[in-house]
Amino acid sequence: MSAVASRSVAAALRSVTAADRVRDERAALETFAVDAIVPRWVARPVSVDELAAVMTVAAEERLIVAPRGSGSALDLGAPPARLDLVVDLSGLDAIVEHNADDLTVTVQAGRSLHALNRYLLAHRQFLPLDPPGEAHTVGGTAAAGLSGPLRFRYGTMRDLLLGVRFVQADGVVTWGGSKVVKSVTGYDVPKLMVGALGTLGVLGELTLRLHSLPEAERTWLVAVPSAAAAQALVASILDSTLQPNRIELNDHTLGAADAPLAVLVSFGSVMEAVVEQGERLARLARDAGGEARAVSGEWTTASDRVAGDRRTTLRVGSLPARLRSTFETLRRALGRIAGARSTLGAHTGLGLWRVTIDGATPEAIATAVAWLRDAVAEHGGYVVVTGGPVAVRRRVDPWGPIAPDALALMRAIKTTFDPDARLNPGRFVSGL
Amino acid sequence: MALTRKFVDELRAIVGKDGLIVSDEGRLVYECDMHTFYKGLPDAVVLPATSAQVQAIARACRREKIPIVPRGSGTGLIGGAMAARGGVMVGLNRMNAILEVDLPNRCATVQPGLINLWLTNAVRERGWFFAPDPSSQMVSSIGGNVSTNAGGPHCLKYGITTNHVLGLELVTGSGELVQLGGVVADRPGYDLVGAAVGAEGTFGLVTAVTVRMLHAPEAVKTALASFTSMEAAAEAVSAIIAAGMLPAALEMLDSVMIGAINAGVGAGYPEGAAAVLLIELDGPNAEVEAQAVRAAAICRERGALAVRVARDDAERALLWKGRKEAAGAVGRLAPTYLLQDAVVPRSKLPLIMRQMEEIARRHGVLIANVFHAGDGNLHPLICYDDRSAEELARAKLANEELLEAAIALGGSVTGEHGIGLDKAKNLPLQYADADLNFMYRLRGVFDPDRVMNPDKLLPAHPACGEGFRPQRPVVPAGAWV
Repeated sequence: MSAVASRSVAAALRSVTAADRVRDERAALETFAVDAIVPRWVARPVSVDELAAVMTVAAEERLIVAPRGSGSALDLGAPPARLDLVVDLSGLDAIVEHNADDLTVTVQAGRSLHALNRYLLAHRQFLPLDPPGEAHTVGGTAAAGLSGPLRFRYGTMRDLLLGVRFVQADGVVTWGGSKVVKSVTGYDVPKLMVGALGTLGVLGELTLRLHSLPEAERTWLVAVPSAAAAQALVASILDSTLQPNRIELNDHTLGAADAPLAVLVSFGSVMEAVVEQGERLARLARDAGGEARAVSGEWTTASDRVAGDRRTTLRVGSLPARLRSTFETLRRALGRIAGARSTLGAHTGLGLWRVTIDGATPEAIATAVAWLRDAVAEHGGYVVVTGGPVAVRRRVDPWGPIAPDALALMRAIKTTFDPDARLNPGRFVSGL
Repeated sequence: MALTRKFVDELRAIVGKDGLIVSDEGRLVYECDMHTFYKGLPDAVVLPATSAQVQAIARACRREKIPIVPRGSGTGLIGGAMAARGGVMVGLNRMNAILEVDLPNRCATVQPGLINLWLTNAVRERGWFFAPDPSSQMVSSIGGNVSTNAGGPHCLKYGITTNHVLGLELVTGSGELVQLGGVVADRPGYDLVGAAVGAEGTFGLVTAVTVRMLHAPEAVKTALASFTSMEAAAEAVSAIIAAGMLPAALEMLDSVMIGAINAGVGAGYPEGAAAVLLIELDGPNAEVEAQAVRAAAICRERGALAVRVARDDAERALLWKGRKEAAGAVGRLAPTYLLQDAVVPRSKLPLIMRQMEEIARRHGVLIANVFHAGDGNLHPLICYDDRSAEELARAKLANEELLEAAIALGGSVTGEHGIGLDKAKNLPLQYADADLNFMYRLRGVFDPDRVMNPDKLLPAHPACGEGFRPQRPVVPAGAWV
């Protein structure tokens, strides 16, 4: 594109937003780079209509678009193949409608999860999504499919997203779902948008189911001598009438083979039920050879706080009942990485592991991920590289292999809704 | 559409002689689901026993462009499992095995024809259950539940079917046998399971389902409160939820329904009650005990005539008896009824009830109400005498007006029954052309030749029968330099 054409794109974007909400100067653009690929324009719409107009310009100019919320999960997925326009959604941060009596809220995609929950606190309500990190937007949490420990009780965005307004690649504003807590009208379009990383449309507005904050909540930490004991404890909790909010395998720095593990369990209910369930947990803990003690709930784990460009994070999906063998497989895989300090934790009631690898070469990490993928695949497991240096994500497909039958459908969906491959191309599974 | 002899032979070769029904009287059984308005005779009914047979049927039908209509137990309420354009109906009832129960991983894999309740029956002694419990659960199939994304009285707390489906095996309209999702959570890629649940057989035929199993709660407590007005009962519902409780069920009956039930099964609801509220709490014993006391107090504060708390399972069953037999009790009021399934935001319940009275008056019809108050899912039964075409016409008008009123209050066209043939025409109340266009194109991914369950779920385009054409936003003049 010539310089004149480039200026005309900027002018077109400005004409549908505002002069100061389109950036095309180098210094500004660099702060919006995705995996060191600098966009040519950044547009910051402040309404869904503006977002649609921006996307229409992008369609006319055939621009490659990357939506951006807070930028906190930009290293999820493969580095983009190309990039022209970053759509900065931070200006779409309004609470559109909160129906406290109905326990529903409609928010714009750029609203931060924390800001939303701060607002809801006054109503003793909350959106029970707690991905680690302070910055995530509601739209980003949906697009990236982020979740946290509370998912054991409340589910994920998939379960809480009632309706979604998004803008398709061609600029058409589209709505799916409903604004009520129960609806089966038409196809469940919101579920298709969750975890799709903006590859089918740019999320503009989300209607969500809320929950009441529990009256009381307490957390217990159970130190157990081994992974086998942790597995026995978790199995006994799952096969009981206890109703925990969270069941986590706490952050564990890999070291000596016989280092103890910690299982964290919280209950939220009326105080009597919290205390009583805590007592029952303590009995189960003793049966598994551990000891339960009340702790203050600290759910942002140490590995979540490890900052820096050298850190690589993985999500490992496995069967919850295979806790011990998955733990040992992970230990073996991570032990192969020279010079790395690795920590791991898990939403252990659900078999979802988080691994953080700090300080290893991209080659070593890629080798370990490949080995790990083979090892967990036997029982239906998978490994996703959820973040880390570009060099790692260039060496190893962050998403891993997708079964051909499902991939054919995914590819057809992508081709149907983004035929020119302009929405986050190359970043999603199998290069979609 | 008559099938050629050659094609019938091909079907017979796939499913065997005893898996094929082509006689007139045999096919008649399959001409409708429980929405008996909509009748359509399939040209053949096949009863496959394996996924491979289902796939062979789908491939043969696709090749000949013959419509395929999947069917479970036929208990749907929307004209979904009926052959609107003839073709081949695929009854999945013979595929009713429990393939695997894996409680340590909190899941089970079953074939689609399995009766919903049989799954819970298989694990009850071990203290587990399958949460989705449509009122039809004694007869409806899990494949049908998945296809309609069925609800039930307990989905206020537990969610609808989609919240409990982890994986699907599906034969798509293009004849591919695909495995979607699975036991391991959060697989990378698009959520194809989420998209396919509730597709009402328009994406393909479900041949296996992996579902979430849950451990039964420690305690269940059921209370029944009666009120002199619907408003008071609706306010009690809102107050219970505002107090931070999430009951397993919050069911409401109106005065017409109370009268019918008292005259029928004799559930002993107080005379003079204009509304009965059934409250079920489950969870840890300490939680249930504390919340039951509080919920009862809230009802009394809202002027309840009486609040009864069941002391044991027998009393609990008695309190539910009236609710469960509500639809049957309406038989005392009128020969038949139309059942509406629209949803309103919970806070709009008093408003929609007043509007409903007005609609009933205007059209001179009797409307009895039994509904899932906790999630605002209405179930008005609009009574009419099917011997009078004129009464039916009035009932239909009232039904459509009610639906429009619910949507105007921010509601949804259907809460748990689905769209089928019955409500396809109503989708434009909730969705714009662009939204419907998106759904049309999504359907095309799974069923490119449009052989799967034609005329269901999506309305036909008024002009071309294809997709809706969305409007692109108008680009301001002068945008192009």
